[in-house]
Amino acid sequence: MNKSNRVRWWTYLLLGLAVFACLFPLYWMFVVATTDTATATKLPPEIVPGGNFFHLAGLVFTTVPFVRSILNSLIVAGTIGIGHAVLCSLAGFAFAKLRFRGRNVLFLSVVLTMTVPTQLAVIPQYMIISSLGWVDTLQAIILPGLGLGSAFGIFWMRQHLGATISDELLQAARIDGATTWQIFWRIAFPLVRPAAFVIGLLGFVTAWNDFLWPFIVLKSPEMYTAQIAIKALQNSFHIDLGLAMSGSFLATLPLLVLFVFVGRRMVAGIMDGAFKG
Amino acid sequence: MKLRIATPVVLATAVALTLSACGGGGGSGPSQPAGNSKSFEFWSFTGIDQKVSVEDYQKKNPGVQIKLTEVGSSVETAQALTTALAGGKVPDLVLIQGDDLPKFVQQSQNFHDLRPLGADKIKGDYLDWVMSQSTAKGGEIIGIPTDVGGMAVAYRTDLFKEAGLPTDREEVGKLWPTWDAFIETGKKYTAATGKAFVDNAATSVFYQAVNQGPQKYYDPSGNVVYSTSPQVKTAFDLAIKAAQAGITAKQSSFSEGWSAGMAKGQFAVIAAPSWMLGGIRRNAPDTEGKWDVATIPGGAGNWGGSYLAIPKGAANPKAAWDYITKTQSPQAQLEHFAKSGSLPTTPSVYKDPKLTGLKDPFFSDAPTGTIYTNSLLGLKPFFIGPDSSTIGQEFQNAITNVEQGKGDAAKAWDAAVANIKTAIGK
Amino acid sequence: MTVTLETRRTVPEVETRVRRSISERLAPYAYIAPFFLLFAVFGLVPLLFTFYVALFDWNPIGEHVFIGFDNFTRLLGDARFWNAAWNTISIWLLSTVPQLLLALCVAHLLNHARLRLAVFLRMSMLVPYITSVAATAIVFAQMFDRDYGLLNWLLGLFGVEPINFLQSVWGSHLMIAVMVTWRWFGYTTLLYLASLQAIPRSLYEAAAVDGAGSWKQFRHIALPSLRPVIVFTVVTSTIGGLQIFTEPLLVSRAAPLTCGPVRQCQTLTLFLYEQGFGQFQFGYGAAIGVALFVLIVAIATLNYVLSTRIRKERG
Repeated sequence: MNKSNRVRWWTYLLLGLAVFACLFPLYWMFVVATTDTATATKLPPEIVPGGNFFHLAGLVFTTVPFVRSILNSLIVAGTIGIGHAVLCSLAGFAFAKLRFRGRNVLFLSVVLTMTVPTQLAVIPQYMIISSLGWVDTLQAIILPGLGLGSAFGIFWMRQHLGATISDELLQAARIDGATTWQIFWRIAFPLVRPAAFVIGLLGFVTAWNDFLWPFIVLKSPEMYTAQIAIKALQNSFHIDLGLAMSGSFLATLPLLVLFVFVGRRMVAGIMDGAFKG
Repeated sequence: MKLRIATPVVLATAVALTLSACGGGGGSGPSQPAGNSKSFEFWSFTGIDQKVSVEDYQKKNPGVQIKLTEVGSSVETAQALTTALAGGKVPDLVLIQGDDLPKFVQQSQNFHDLRPLGADKIKGDYLDWVMSQSTAKGGEIIGIPTDVGGMAVAYRTDLFKEAGLPTDREEVGKLWPTWDAFIETGKKYTAATGKAFVDNAATSVFYQAVNQGPQKYYDPSGNVVYSTSPQVKTAFDLAIKAAQAGITAKQSSFSEGWSAGMAKGQFAVIAAPSWMLGGIRRNAPDTEGKWDVATIPGGAGNWGGSYLAIPKGAANPKAAWDYITKTQSPQAQLEHFAKSGSLPTTPSVYKDPKLTGLKDPFFSDAPTGTIYTNSLLGLKPFFIGPDSSTIGQEFQNAITNVEQGKGDAAKAWDAAVANIKTAIGK
Repeated sequence: MTVTLETRRTVPEVETRVRRSISERLAPYAYIAPFFLLFAVFGLVPLLFTFYVALFDWNPIGEHVFIGFDNFTRLLGDARFWNAAWNTISIWLLSTVPQLLLALCVAHLLNHARLRLAVFLRMSMLVPYITSVAATAIVFAQMFDRDYGLLNWLLGLFGVEPINFLQSVWGSHLMIAVMVTWRWFGYTTLLYLASLQAIPRSLYEAAAVDGAGSWKQFRHIALPSLRPVIVFTVVTSTIGGLQIFTEPLLVSRAAPLTCGPVRQCQTLTLFLYEQGFGQFQFGYGAAIGVALFVLIVAIATLNYVLSTRIRKERG
């Protein structure tokens, strides 16, 4: 509001405080990760990064198979991200632009699945995964991740496809003899690619940061994702906070780098959501 | 037309490839190539130095490949083992901590009976009360003990000096023949320095004292008696007394603050079973030479100790058993003790000069071998049941609650007993 | 936006129709099938199976004994269950209400046409969202520590005695709520901001002409158009908030499965995990899952009823 007025100084002050609150914990993580455990327990605290980063980072890599865990996280989050982008676009397209029997009921059930707390069914989920012989494998995370996180994406893509693509355009393509698949792949998907990209990103971030399920199904260090590797850095009889923070920082770094490049699109994508107007 | 079919096929192939790539990675990693009798998978927990034994064994037995996984804490390792047993994908060899063992002994069908493999022949080498804990009702032996946790107290000589207390380990041991005397010493220390004496009451007082009687939470025939056992009540009251005396740093064992406090000298004393010494060394590397080890109030006790077991579904039980026999023979346990400080479970080596002569420079050259074996020789073994760890945890929780100033000391015992009843149903 | 189709062919109309009637008719189902299939296998079936397992004394490495509703009667008399339920609701409220209000304020501040650094500000708000809970927990546990925490040091400068956040009920709830709020408020802010920006400026101008002040404009113009997104965020944070697990598991290292000695911050999901995977009582754990399901459905329904009633009153 007050759109025509000058921005008041206190607006910047308050926003500055919010930004500080958002960034400080990460900065603090970095400070401890560049010094050592003693810094984390020193009062008054030291708030300037030290020169110990490479020493601690080296320890992270020798304590747990960290490179492998980052790779695993990339495989898991990458597959889930791409999978979400594709599956949600496809299903969203079907719900938005195709006519078929049971469409409304099926769409309603998609929305309803969003309200089903599947996380609390971990016990039977574990039984299913183990009866498939998938305990301690990456597909034990990928396939449930593809299925359970995508309802929101379908809803989102349906809104986008509905708003972006006119029925006339599709009608014209039909008359030209295009198949449904061609219409999706050649016309619809290119037009909503930015939205699909954001869905993929959100899926990627969620999968990268997931903890509970990988913690239950992954057992051997070679299968760890980055989050489980962080946990494994803490020995049972002693805690090296410097090491733990260094691991946390290194596990967050890939996402931060990614965010620098795609953050703007991610922000735009989230804001371009289904709640405009 | 072509496109319509091609794209889904390409997609499906891509997904399938990714999945099989993951599956392949999983297959070659944790599970062993079938038919290779020279390799096996071993789950241990962190902080117990099994790596040393594994490396030794591999040096002496070239060609044997052991995939050692330090799953997490001992409790997390037991949880992982349970899920693995339920899920069917198990390691060939697993280290189980003593308190977690009874649950597995009760379900002994999940493990190889080690008798046919040769356990009958060697079981006499080990302390009989330790062996009895890994023996199921039907006589099946499911675990071979790797170490016992004889007990002692680690203390900071420099801080004791500042407080005007003696620093010599003999004299320090004489300061606290009983737990009451221990608490009195703590009061003196805190009065003199204004600092906390011991890390916490739950672990360093209750958990030690309760492990010193002939009967803990179960009677010898396996009935729960935690609420009537005098030993338990005594230990509990002592811990409450310590908590209320204001001599504890209120740092729960194995927490961040506990680690940091140890490094910074926030407290001067920690109850230290033999396996704890390594933890102190890692938590407070800068305090080398400032520690010493004295006898524990009451003299004897055991906390901890672990067992090696072979799950039923193991791909290579023979290789695992060979590892057990070679690394857990009396002589091998003695060697391992010299390297890592884990106390042997084989009494035949307790008088060996290699054990009695061992001195630990980190702890002011304390003769740890003698101190810890002495604490075992006076030990009266007690029965450990499937709910022992839950019961112990609830008692500790109640004490911590009082220590933190949240709980009513007078009601703490009844609350703990009620909680245990809820938790285990009896 | 020119779309040309390479596959422009001269197929008789009839043939096209015939082709459509076979494979084309199935196409929509094929496009939505992957979701339903995956959701059924990994979501619905496990959920239904939870109801089944809850009727057993189910030892994952031992026997499965049918005991009917015994797990549920035991649950109702279990003080630990009520404690966890209370903790869950308390942490959910503490992490949801302030978060949504904060997001509303920040979105309002960000919604200024001439704001400089708008992109930087918005991106900064999203940084916590991409940080993992595992990493967050380690940092926040340090900051809230009794003896060495930044926060207590800061409070100490003002003469406040160190607060033992983790060991007290309110302190631990607050700490977890702060972690959750930190992670999610930026995301929520962006959702609100998007809705605010969609409001035509002319509406404000008209209101200003009518003499409506800033607060009145916000109340009568912004708030009504925000209602759908507010309902959405309330529903999603209800479902997420009632299942909080990772934060309480990771902040209390000394007693992770109970989140402290007196279960002061043990949530229902953590209680479920403790019973299922810590105590190996799958049946009892599943019963907790069912109870949590009932709780979530009840609160979601309440949400729905309240929000539709408000809509009716205003509409």
